[in-house]
Amino acid sequence: MKNHIAALSLLLLSTASIAVAQEKASPLEISGSVDTYFKYDFSKVANIPTYFANEQNSVSLGMIDLALKKTTGKASFVGELSFGPRGQFQSIPDAIGGYDPATNGFNIQNLYINYAFTDKFTMTAGYMGTFVGYEVISPMANFNYSTSYLFGSGPFQNAGLKGTYSFSDKVSLMAGVFNDWNVYQDFNGVSHFGAQLMVSPVEGWSAYVNFLTGRSAGAGADGTIIDLTTSYQITDKFKLGLNAADYGVSNDGGGYTGAALYPQYAFTPSVAIGARAEYFTFKGTGGAPDASVTSFTLSGNLKAGGLTFIPEVRFDNDSDEYIGFVKSNLTPSKTAAQFSLAAVYSF
Amino acid sequence: MKFLSSFASLLFLSSLLFGQEVAMLPKDETGKYIYYEVVSTGLAEDSLKLRSLDFISKNKKEIKLKSIKDAKTVLASGKIVITKSLAMLSRPTGEITYHFNFEMGAQKYRFWLTNFEFIPYQKDRYGNFVPSTTVGIPLEKEPKKSNADQWEDYRLQAAKYATSFAKRFKDHLANKVVISKPAAEKKVVSKSW
Repeated sequence: MKNHIAALSLLLLSTASIAVAQEKASPLEISGSVDTYFKYDFSKVANIPTYFANEQNSVSLGMIDLALKKTTGKASFVGELSFGPRGQFQSIPDAIGGYDPATNGFNIQNLYINYAFTDKFTMTAGYMGTFVGYEVISPMANFNYSTSYLFGSGPFQNAGLKGTYSFSDKVSLMAGVFNDWNVYQDFNGVSHFGAQLMVSPVEGWSAYVNFLTGRSAGAGADGTIIDLTTSYQITDKFKLGLNAADYGVSNDGGGYTGAALYPQYAFTPSVAIGARAEYFTFKGTGGAPDASVTSFTLSGNLKAGGLTFIPEVRFDNDSDEYIGFVKSNLTPSKTAAQFSLAAVYSF
Repeated sequence: MKFLSSFASLLFLSSLLFGQEVAMLPKDETGKYIYYEVVSTGLAEDSLKLRSLDFISKNKKEIKLKSIKDAKTVLASGKIVITKSLAMLSRPTGEITYHFNFEMGAQKYRFWLTNFEFIPYQKDRYGNFVPSTTVGIPLEKEPKKSNADQWEDYRLQAAKYATSFAKRFKDHLANKVVISKPAAEKKVVSKSW
């Protein structure tokens, strides 16, 4: 009996201490997602090199993503881990900066600490999802399941130190110094400078102008990316997004340029349809000609609680035969088409 | 046995303490949920106005001033962050936005919260939860069967919040003395014409 009373007292005491602790710190947030997909390329060969949904005629894994967040006063941290192809070697590097599926084991998508000096000014340090581009690694935050050429060619993560100042709800500016793209450790010093201007001219419309420049370890030239990411909820049901970017490497070192339009229409909060129309150019290096590809993707989003089904068809046209699409008999083709069905559960 | 009965009493007590019923908000003539209250007061209109603006500025994380109309009406918009909790863990799932109206009259004032709309959250690239859209779903909208319990909970949370907001607002207006900033001391520069 004494044990029971002691246990009960302990329980009450711990509940009380939790209540006191909660006044100072927010509870620990745990969230995440799980995704899986089936993809079928109509030429029976995995043609379209979209990141993530790339395995042909197979029920394949995306990733399990787990994020922790906690805020205590003005300080907060985010730690996000991911497991599975999408969450490991397809999107994050290993210790030496490679994408070798055999050695990849870091599993870290986000690991940063944030401190709000005032209501308007915050500083963040660590390894963060990139501020560049429209689409993201997590399938929860994308409308289409397959990803764009712009997404696949741009940075995935930027480790660094950045400060963000909010002039108002409508304007903010971020500036920071960063490692090379997608690395945990920068082997030539913190060599990149980045900035982001956010403007929200009217309710429902936000635009981000992003800039990132620097020289990566071992590179003989500087790379500079300028990116515009914007979306506008034009009516209750219709939203339009746009991503345009130009990445250039000095000394005729190539790069890319492209634009993608994202119209989306919500029939109900649970049923929506959306397209992505993209034009993308690989810049030639050393005098070589540029090569362009166009891509059209049509996706549905069917939601039930935390679950989203994403049926999708995609048609790509590689007019310069740069990517190397093939027909079912493995002869070259300028076009490729695929169907995919993905299930994403977020919690 | 004694332990079990003590434990049951404890449970009953805690259910009395924490399980108080929250009434759903009533609807107005347009069919929208509303929290509406008229309060008699001995305070002058300018004091009421100062105190209401002070309340808004002190709670800027949850409510923002939109406009002041004809010197007697204050309009603001606010949000209630909805979190899903389990033990010491929690995560925000969305927010309920609302409009706040405050009007002053002779020896009385009235205020109401209405236009409650739910906006689901989604995770952004940095792992933070942010509104997934700018278009809210009115709480009056009838949910699907699969979502009915969740929707009922949002309505209850809105009602609970409105009751607590009203109490804090009335207390602030009744008790908080706001001293308007004194005008800067005027200096005469005698050296210049």
